[in-house]
Amino acid sequence: MRLLLVDPDPARAALVAEGLADISPLELRRTGSLNQAELANFRPDVIVVASDSPDRDTLESLRESTQANPRPVLMFVDRSEPGFGDEAIRAGVAAYIVDGLQPGRIRSILEVAMSRFQLMQQLRADLAKAQSDLATRKTVERAKGLLMKERQVGEEEAYGLLRKLAMNSGRPIAAVAADLLAFSGVLKGDKS
Amino acid sequence: MKTALDLGFIALTDAAPLIVAQTHGLFASEGLDVSLHREVSWATIRDKVSAGVFQAAHMLAPMAIATNLGVGSERAHVVVPMSLNAHGAGIGVSATLADEMAQADPAAPLSATALAGAVAQRRRAGKPNISFAVVFPYSMHNYMLRFWAASAGVDPDDDIRIGVAPPTAIAAQLKSGEVDGFCVGAPWGALCEAQSGAKVALHAADFWPGGPDKVLGVSGAWANREPAQMLALMRALIRGARWADEAANADDLAALLARPEWLNAPEHLIAQRLAPNTPQSLRFARHTALYPWRSHAAWIASQMVRWGQAPADMDLDAAIACYQPDLFREAAADAGLNAPVADSKIEGAHDTAWSLAGRDGPIEMTADQMPGRAEFAPDRAAEYATSFKISRSRS
Repeated sequence: MRLLLVDPDPARAALVAEGLADISPLELRRTGSLNQAELANFRPDVIVVASDSPDRDTLESLRESTQANPRPVLMFVDRSEPGFGDEAIRAGVAAYIVDGLQPGRIRSILEVAMSRFQLMQQLRADLAKAQSDLATRKTVERAKGLLMKERQVGEEEAYGLLRKLAMNSGRPIAAVAADLLAFSGVLKGDKS
Repeated sequence: MKTALDLGFIALTDAAPLIVAQTHGLFASEGLDVSLHREVSWATIRDKVSAGVFQAAHMLAPMAIATNLGVGSERAHVVVPMSLNAHGAGIGVSATLADEMAQADPAAPLSATALAGAVAQRRRAGKPNISFAVVFPYSMHNYMLRFWAASAGVDPDDDIRIGVAPPTAIAAQLKSGEVDGFCVGAPWGALCEAQSGAKVALHAADFWPGGPDKVLGVSGAWANREPAQMLALMRALIRGARWADEAANADDLAALLARPEWLNAPEHLIAQRLAPNTPQSLRFARHTALYPWRSHAAWIASQMVRWGQAPADMDLDAAIACYQPDLFREAAADAGLNAPVADSKIEGAHDTAWSLAGRDGPIEMTADQMPGRAEFAPDRAAEYATSFKISRSRS
């Protein structure tokens, strides 16, 4: 079985390919964007496409073709199993099979693709959170340093002051710290 | 506690009612906490509305009808309680094709007859067929290009090639010579003109003044479950569209839409199709641009039959039932906008400005002549659908 994976995100595509490596017999080709000549040449049985790929509508239109051109007649996988397609849409994957192929055969492929897409999303979310946590910590550290200098207090007391400000204003400590740094900039005559 | 909604849109000028409602706090003042998601493909918009991931979205009018019919996708219930705009799309040709057309018909260099001449010239020279890109098989863009080509005897399936590409990619395809022409919505046609000297051959506003384009496609399940939320959403969009329609706001609107998080396109190109008092400019609320005319839906269904996307004996009443003007009248009354009394009208019957019966008094309308100066009577849509010489209609 030949599978074409269309995904503009190379890291995610690699993750999906790795997951699919155990499924045999499967010949997998990855592409960031759809090339119709390549499509005609490779003649995939299954096309898995990321829903954030701008090539999806082009692919979709191939089902419409009334031409005698040698184009694959594609079926949206959804047709075989109601509900399963919705899950795939939520995960950000769409899949097409060439008409004539047993839809059941690709369920395992789609399941792997879906779980890898979800995994990638989770990894990206974790990374974004880690970055934002780090930025928050840096802001709080700088605000603490400012208070220690200006109020001549120790580290613990400075942190206590910040926490009290946050509680009194009902806002996160990072937001209060950011305000404090901005105001101190204004008081010192920063242009920004 | 605000109601959280997820809505989808594609980067096009006609998404303005959604973008204005979001940035001007109009959703918020209706108690809606809306997240707007920019998608890169119409198929994804359709799937997410069908699956209920989005409660509603910016949608191609024909896509909503096709989805209800199960044509080109799994059948799903999508409600169309309002349109979002008229005008903005255009058929354009590359500088090279424009030259070929001018040689073929110097008197009318950008006409369909000129296209027919260029098609014949290429055939004589043994060159490949002229190719066009449209945004989706079920789009006014596809039907407009096909109608225009066929009007001069060019068979859109046999004599030219029509492919599909997302709006944002068409300018690049034209520049690289991958396609010779396009039919795309604003501002991407203007980008083709600016980047590679493409020429607009026909504006949607000249093809069918006040004709359909984008609609609000609503998940049927959500519409049934949360009718009050849907009306709140519609009121916010009506207010957003009215703001976008004010001549005095045109500059601010162009600047807003140009931002990276919305269209991410050059402001001056967006402004071109928002210029007040220009017939080709987009309409957002005036002249019933927001009204879900059932006669629009019937015309679209007729073209699905004409091009073989749907069978000739399909139930036309069922096909257009997703358009729900009653819902629009209700939301418009709450938002203080006049709305037509009738669900349908004879399309293309006016060659001058006219006046339409509205619930709160007459509504000013403009001339609305259809291609070929033919009238379209929605109750004779089936007959109309099979009346064309060039057609792929099937029983």
